[in-house]
Amino acid sequence: MFENRTIGLALTVPAALFAAALFILPVGILLSEAFKGDNGFSLMAYVDFFSSPRNQTVFFRTLKLAGLVAVVSAVVGYAAAFCIVSLPAKSRGRMFGLVTLPLMISPVARTYAWLVILGRTGFVNSMLVNMGITDTPFRILFTETAVFIGLLQLFMPLMIISLVSAMENMPRDAIPAARILGANWFQVFTKVILPLTREGLVVGGTLVFTGSMTAYITPAILGGSKVLMLETLLYQRVTVANDFVAASVIAMILIVMAFSANVLLKQIATARRTRV
Amino acid sequence: MNRVATWAILGLTLTFLIGPFLIIVIAGLSAGDSLAFPPQGISLKWYIKVFTVESFQASFAMSMFLAIFGTLAALLLGIPAAYGMARYRVPGAEFVRLIVSSPIIVPGIIVGLALLRYLVIPTGVSIALALFLAHTALILPYAVRVVSGSLDNLRVDMEEAALLLGCSRMGAFWRVVLPNIRGGVLAAFILGFVTSFNQVPVSLFLSGPGVRTLPIDMIAYMEINYDPSVAALSALLAVMSVGIVFAAEKFLGFSRYV
Repeated sequence: MFENRTIGLALTVPAALFAAALFILPVGILLSEAFKGDNGFSLMAYVDFFSSPRNQTVFFRTLKLAGLVAVVSAVVGYAAAFCIVSLPAKSRGRMFGLVTLPLMISPVARTYAWLVILGRTGFVNSMLVNMGITDTPFRILFTETAVFIGLLQLFMPLMIISLVSAMENMPRDAIPAARILGANWFQVFTKVILPLTREGLVVGGTLVFTGSMTAYITPAILGGSKVLMLETLLYQRVTVANDFVAASVIAMILIVMAFSANVLLKQIATARRTRV
Repeated sequence: MNRVATWAILGLTLTFLIGPFLIIVIAGLSAGDSLAFPPQGISLKWYIKVFTVESFQASFAMSMFLAIFGTLAALLLGIPAAYGMARYRVPGAEFVRLIVSSPIIVPGIIVGLALLRYLVIPTGVSIALALFLAHTALILPYAVRVVSGSLDNLRVDMEEAALLLGCSRMGAFWRVVLPNIRGGVLAAFILGFVTSFNQVPVSLFLSGPGVRTLPIDMIAYMEINYDPSVAALSALLAVMSVGIVFAAEKFLGFSRYV
């Protein structure tokens, strides 16, 4: 009854054409710009890009911050997810809702809040001055710390969500069993919880890592031109220097990272399905 | 683990995740002229002022337009695509799925730049149109994914029964399929709306004189001004998104679909 290929094609082709024409084609042309040399194909743009110390700094800073955000949100995420799962069903649902709530709110609003908290006349500094700890406000904004805090708040919910669903799928009596058999909490974590929630950790970690890598708003507002990350560098190269080749190189780096993370996710997801 | 430790950990985590919103709500209530926390005096003047700033009015209208019509356009393309892939034998279905979902993998800033350089500049189409197309493409993957999820839960026999009883294919879709995936379509609309409305990177390069989305306008405003109006506006927007999602959850069971 649904064998007709023509109808199937007629239904799907418009969407595919739209995405191909507006997405794949323009982005493809943009990416190809960095491979153009004087006589055909060339990788010089990449060599040039990575030979600049500033670009190297930005590249490694982006990797470092994204990695750090992923690790810290995993540590906090495990504690939080463990607590959420141990709650009775009703408050568990509510707590889960509260954790996911920030994801629905504009990232500009979420980042702006940190401007209020970390600024010269912000919450942290006025508290420190009032308590007599310091006379001159600290400079927290426009440092890597500020960007780190902003990214952590932005992406941690993704980690908690992944870990909560992983822990909900864990056999109920695994932890009590390990405890009865004499394992201490450290052993329970490394030998029971960690192996059983590994997939959730990888999913959450990938989401947090790629999210932080490709973030624009947080480094733009909390880091400014002092703490550039790859996306803010891309924006700056285009608007300040009209340097589309550098933009193309950065675009390629970001897409390759995001794509490999996505492939990794898919593989883990399918590995899970075949086992069950 | 004991209860005190559990609630201490959850309390700290929630303070970190949600506390900042309470702070912007309060910072927006300031009576002073510069952003500070704790605020200097209490007044509603910044909450009132944001409604009178002309650029905010224009960019809010733009963002609303993009979120509503971009999502509708994405559904118009996405529902048939999801339906086609769920029911019919589509040659290269996996390839189609990959193409349609590609906007999720490519960072928005790159899409915006590519569209500016290879669509707006050579063909001279307006930036508003480019923004509309970009937002549609961006929402398309979500529309296809959420609607596909609903279709997977819908049994084929009802449709087959309708067809056997003489219903046309169009008729079967309108009278049998669509009413049954209504919840999924609505959930896709809400998800698309919120995603588009909050979207920044795609719109970063796609802005021109008088054509700006609200988040871009807020960033531009806070680069020049250091008053609490962006705090007030952020608080209002946060309340709006939370309200939409809360209502969707209450009346629709939103989280079932997403």
